[in-house]
Amino acid sequence: MKFGLFYEISVPRPWDRETEKRVYDNCFEQVILADELGFDQVWAVEHHFLEEYSHCSAPEIFLTACAMKTRNIRVGHGIIVCVPQFNHPIKIAERTATMDIVSGGRLEVGTGRSATWTELGGFGVNPDETKKTWDEIVHCLPKMWTQERFGYEGRSWSMPVRTIIPKPYQKPHPPLWVAVTSPGTEIDAAERGMGSLGLTFGSFKEQGEKVKNYRRIIRNCEPVGEFINEKVSTANFLYCHEETEKGVKNGRRLLGTFNFLAAQLLACREAFPTKSYPSLGLLPTLRQEAAGPGDDSGVPEGIAIGDPERVLRACKNWESVGVDRINFLINALETIPQQDVLESLRTFARHVMPHFRDEQQAAAAAGGR
Amino acid sequence: MPPRLGKLDSKEFAAKYAREILGYKTEPWTLKKAQILNFNHEIDDDLGDDLLPRTMHPSIPAYATFTIVACPESPVGAFSFGEVKIAGRAGVRPRDFVLRSFCDSEAARRELAQRWGYPSTPGQVKLTTRHDRIIGRVAVEGRAVLEMEMLDRDLIAGNDIQYIASMHLARNKEDGQLVLVQVDPEFVFSRAERGRPILRTLDNAAWGDERGRLKLRNPISISYAVADIALPRIRYICDPERPAFQGTTKVAA
Repeated sequence: MKFGLFYEISVPRPWDRETEKRVYDNCFEQVILADELGFDQVWAVEHHFLEEYSHCSAPEIFLTACAMKTRNIRVGHGIIVCVPQFNHPIKIAERTATMDIVSGGRLEVGTGRSATWTELGGFGVNPDETKKTWDEIVHCLPKMWTQERFGYEGRSWSMPVRTIIPKPYQKPHPPLWVAVTSPGTEIDAAERGMGSLGLTFGSFKEQGEKVKNYRRIIRNCEPVGEFINEKVSTANFLYCHEETEKGVKNGRRLLGTFNFLAAQLLACREAFPTKSYPSLGLLPTLRQEAAGPGDDSGVPEGIAIGDPERVLRACKNWESVGVDRINFLINALETIPQQDVLESLRTFARHVMPHFRDEQQAAAAAGGR
Repeated sequence: MPPRLGKLDSKEFAAKYAREILGYKTEPWTLKKAQILNFNHEIDDDLGDDLLPRTMHPSIPAYATFTIVACPESPVGAFSFGEVKIAGRAGVRPRDFVLRSFCDSEAARRELAQRWGYPSTPGQVKLTTRHDRIIGRVAVEGRAVLEMEMLDRDLIAGNDIQYIASMHLARNKEDGQLVLVQVDPEFVFSRAERGRPILRTLDNAAWGDERGRLKLRNPISISYAVADIALPRIRYICDPERPAFQGTTKVAA
C-alpha cells in the first residue's frame, strides 16, 4: 500500500490575486511536507471552468513546480483530458516527456475524458465522442514516447511522420493510468493494461468488486504501452487527529464542503442525453456515501477521517479489498486551516504509515519500486 | 464567503404566480404514455440567480429547461402542459425551479396545483410529431409564448435521459405557509429520442420573468420521450427563504 495526495485545488471566493496564490502556496507547502514524510505520490487533476471546485486548469505547471521543490515524491498528471479540443495528442506526449525529464523520472500519467457539461460544453466537445478520442489517444501515446519517428492517420486526429521530442526519462515510458468513475471503466483500464485510478469515493463492497473484475481481465489484456501497470488506486479524504472528536469534526467539514462543491457542477448526463456517460460522475457515489453505513461518529464507511486508529482501520480495509494506493484529498475551499492540514499529515505519517512500511520495504527488497 | 444562492424574492413572485396546495397528502398519479419534449439551454449565470429561490444554488453553468408534456390519459382525462424551469441545486441534489406552467385543462390545472403545487395557469399547449421533427408550442390567448422544435430525430435509450425533479413555490392552504414543494416523478420509457434543438419563441414576461433575467446563451440538448410518468406522494418541502440544508422538511416516507 502506498499513499499520495490528490489535488483539485479549490479556491473560495472572493478571488483576489492573493487568494489563489495563497491556496497554491499552501498546496506546495503540503507537498513538500508529504515528500519529507514519505508519501509516495502527488496527483493533480485537470479541470476547467469549475469555479471554486477546482482552479487546477494547468496541472502540468503545478506538478512541475512540485517536482522542483521535492526529492522523492512522484508526480501524477491526472487526469489529462484526452480529447483533442482540450489537449492535442502531440502536446500531451511532448509535455509529459518534458515533465518526466525535469522531475528525474517521477511522472505518472493519468488519462480520462472529462465528465461535466461545464467543461465539455466550454470546449465545444460532443460528449458522444470523448470515449472514442480517449481510446485513440491512449493507444498512440506510448508510441509517440518510444518511437523515434511517429505518424498517424486516425479517426479523431492524424499527423504526418515527425520526430516527437523529447522522450521520457523513464524507460520504456511512465506508467499509464485510467480515471475510473463511470461503471465499467475499470474494464477499459484492464483490457488496455493500464492502472485503475479510482476517482470516486465508493464503498468497500463496490470497490472490491471492481478490483476483482479488473484483476481478472488484465490477465488477458492487450497493453497499449510497453508494460502492464497492474495497480489499483482509490481516492479518499484524509483528516487525522489524535483527538477523535476533533478529527471527526474537521473531517466531516472537509467532506461536506467537497460534496457541496461537487454538487454545483453540471454533470454531462444531467443535461445531455448520451450513452457515453452512464453515470453522473462523482455525485451519486458521494450521495450514497453520505447516506451509507457509518460508525458511531457518523463518518461514512471507508473514509479516512478521525483518530489514527480509525484511519488505520479504513486504510487496512481498502488494502484488504485489493487496493494498492490511496490518494487523499486533504482540504476543500481552505475549510481546514493550513496548520491543521499539515498536522493531520504528520499525525498520519507518525501513527498510520508505519503499519504499512514493512510491506513497502519488503516489496522494495524484492525488486519493486 | 457564503456560497452562491438564488436571489428570487419569493414573496413577491408568489403573490403573482404561486397556487394553493391542499396539504401534502396527495395520492400518486400515473400519466400513461405521456409525450415529453425537453430542451436544456444555458442562460446567463449572474442574471439567472435572480430567478432561483434562496433555498437553491445555481448549477455551473446556469441553465433553463423548457418542457412540454402531452398526457393522453390521466385521472382527469387528457391534458397538456408547458413549463419553464431554472436548474439549480437543493443542497447537493439537482432540482429545477418551475417559474410558471401553462395547461390546457381546467381540471388538470386545479388538481396539479392542489396536489403538487404546480403553478399552472390557462394556456394552449400543443405537441406535434412529424417524421423530420417534433414541434412544441405554448400559447396564451392565441399568442405564442414558447415555440421549440427538435430536428433530425435520433433514437436513443430511455435510460440515456435524465430528468430532474422539480420545485414548486406554493402556499399551503392548511397553514398559509409559503413553501417549495419538491416533486420527483418516476419515468418508465417506451421511446426516447434526441435531436437538434431550435428555440423559435420565448416570451420572458409570460413566464414570470418580466425583467428579462432569463438571457439565453448556449443551447445544450433537446430530447423527446414517450413515458409513463408516476407523480408521487410529496416527500419533501423547503422554506423558500432558507438554504435547503437548513430549511428542508420531510413530510412523507
